Amino acid sequence: MSKTFDDIVKQLVDMGGVVEELKASEVYVRVPRDRLRNFARFLYESGAYFKTCVGVDERQLNNMFAVYYIFGLDELGKDVVLRALAPEDDAWVDSITSEVPAADWCELEFRDLVGIEPRNRLVRRLVLPEDWPDGVYPLRKEFKYDMRPPVGAFREELAEETGIPVGPYHPALHEPEYFELYVEGEKIVDVAYRGFHVHRGIEKLAESPRFTYKQVPFLAERICGICGFVHSTCYLMALEKAAGIEVPERAEFIRSIVLEVERLHSHLLWLGVAAHLLGYDAGFMHAWRIRERVMVLAEYLTGSRKTYGINIIGGVRKDIDLDKIDKTMRTMASLKEEFSKLTEVMLSVPQVKSRASGTGILSKSEARALSVVGPVARASGLYRDIRKDYPYLAYKRVSFKVPLYTEGDNLARLLVRVDEVYESIEIIKQLIDALPGGSISVEEYEIPVGRKAVAAIEAPRGEDVHFIITGVGRPYRWRVRAPTYQNIPALRAMLRGTPLADAPLTIASIDPCFSCTDRVVVYDMRSGRRSSIRITRGG
Amino acid sequence: MSNLAKALKAIRKSIWVYHLNSGSCNACDIEVLDALTPYFDVERFGVKLVGSPRHADVILLTGPITRESLPKVVRAIRAMPRPRLILALGSCGVGGGIWWDSYSTTGGFKKLEDILRENGVEIDRVVYVPGCPVRPEAIIYGILLLLGAVEQKSKRVEVYASES
Repeated sequence: MSKTFDDIVKQLVDMGGVVEELKASEVYVRVPRDRLRNFARFLYESGAYFKTCVGVDERQLNNMFAVYYIFGLDELGKDVVLRALAPEDDAWVDSITSEVPAADWCELEFRDLVGIEPRNRLVRRLVLPEDWPDGVYPLRKEFKYDMRPPVGAFREELAEETGIPVGPYHPALHEPEYFELYVEGEKIVDVAYRGFHVHRGIEKLAESPRFTYKQVPFLAERICGICGFVHSTCYLMALEKAAGIEVPERAEFIRSIVLEVERLHSHLLWLGVAAHLLGYDAGFMHAWRIRERVMVLAEYLTGSRKTYGINIIGGVRKDIDLDKIDKTMRTMASLKEEFSKLTEVMLSVPQVKSRASGTGILSKSEARALSVVGPVARASGLYRDIRKDYPYLAYKRVSFKVPLYTEGDNLARLLVRVDEVYESIEIIKQLIDALPGGSISVEEYEIPVGRKAVAAIEAPRGEDVHFIITGVGRPYRWRVRAPTYQNIPALRAMLRGTPLADAPLTIASIDPCFSCTDRVVVYDMRSGRRSSIRITRGG
Repeated sequence: MSNLAKALKAIRKSIWVYHLNSGSCNACDIEVLDALTPYFDVERFGVKLVGSPRHADVILLTGPITRESLPKVVRAIRAMPRPRLILALGSCGVGGGIWWDSYSTTGGFKKLEDILRENGVEIDRVVYVPGCPVRPEAIIYGILLLLGAVEQKSKRVEVYASES
């Protein structure tokens, strides 16, 4: 990229933006709500990718609704946040989806939850159940977090269904999810995703009187049972950045170690599931057998197999002593050995190779247009890893490679994850070796009101983004964008025109995590296809 | 002895389980899978994951039963043949967990049971397995408890949060 950060800010100002706040890592620019699209186009053309957008009910602060569009300049390691205001009686903003397709879901999300209308685009209900009353917006401040509109009578939907009645619950599946694949013969023509079964109202809970700043990390950890530690760390990073809390180095190292342990268990889980979907159940069982070592290690380090609960504001609760160091090192050594045996066998099984290579292709240009993240981006030749682009915690202290493949197929995504397991093992070893002394948390801190911050972490599935506006005693607004949120729209590009038999593996290849995503989501599409069948994914 | 009591007595071995995620965070769900894979390996006891509630002896219910999943959960449980045995897993399955009073959840099995009763679906036996997430050992113990193969060690105490 030839433009510098200053150039971009200057040009935004020339276009009519007003710089509200300029920090070392991000800039907040207020833009007119009817010209959002122009700003978005400019940023996209300058090499930025879209992170997320957030609707905020700021009527208590300035009598307006606000929308924040967050863009990442990953080559510069900085963020640009566009902020547009809309008055209550005329709540709309210009939609940017024509320029930035990746903004599709989050615009619908603030339409559903805050009641701000994105203009000049197709709208539909996305997040809330169909029987949710109109005009009731959960993220408006007057809505009480525990208000439950009455549930209508249960419809007997059985008669309407013509497909195979398996979704959204499926045997090998640990989450409810539902894809509709529209086919012509054996070829997939289009894809629709219906999720939203796991929307639990987390963002609203965090601003309700039931929670305080200190308690939200535990709520954040329960967003997802697989990458929960990513969420609690990311929330704390955003909060600590907003409040200017300096975290002790040792705590940063411990957080990084636990994050990598989590990545190991998540990738092993995925590899097992992928093997299962390829009909290679021996690989599935062995991957999960090896994974059990990581679970035991996690319990030894944090006290819990999952949902570790060691994150607190300004540090961690559990230290790593010599016994733990020893155990970690031994586990890493045996894990590496067993994992290399497993992958050696798994990748030499001809069926695995032939089923995975050349299927579910996502080209680099599509990957860029859709702002995909994580292993999906890296398998399509996009060099995008938050650990390198926005070095956080202790990652600036370790050296590691970012696996990059250009094929963009299922095999490439599989290989990216295999390589990352080895890298994670090395990262953990390096972190343990360099573990500094000192305390593991800060004693005192203060959290000023009205500060904003964006934080991002490379979760096992890609970039996890948290945005926070501080309030009194608890966040005024807290927004979570999980990696799957960004990656699911890419499935359309991957699946269209491919044979039906490859669909389960392709869907799984983005490692979708619906509990993160479905806080809010459903993906619906134009109807009127020739025939529809339903399939579900294992894992 | 009624047919139902006979059927309840007959379910002792090789039970088939159906995993019903009602909006859980995945942690309990991966622990369920953990229980099925080599380290814990409940398949050696004949416990098998099946693809339809119509084939299931026991439903493993995880999650706080979100508003969106509620109709589907009711349908899945209704599809199960009598006797209906349910294992409510994890803090969420037991009592709604950390989101017990959120606008978009139902709040645990106790509330679900009322809704089921209103809709004419009877549950024959339920065992609550707490934990966040629930441990694989606890899942196995819960299943055995449900089948009456082990004695309950703890006393049953019901605690309700106030509605205010």
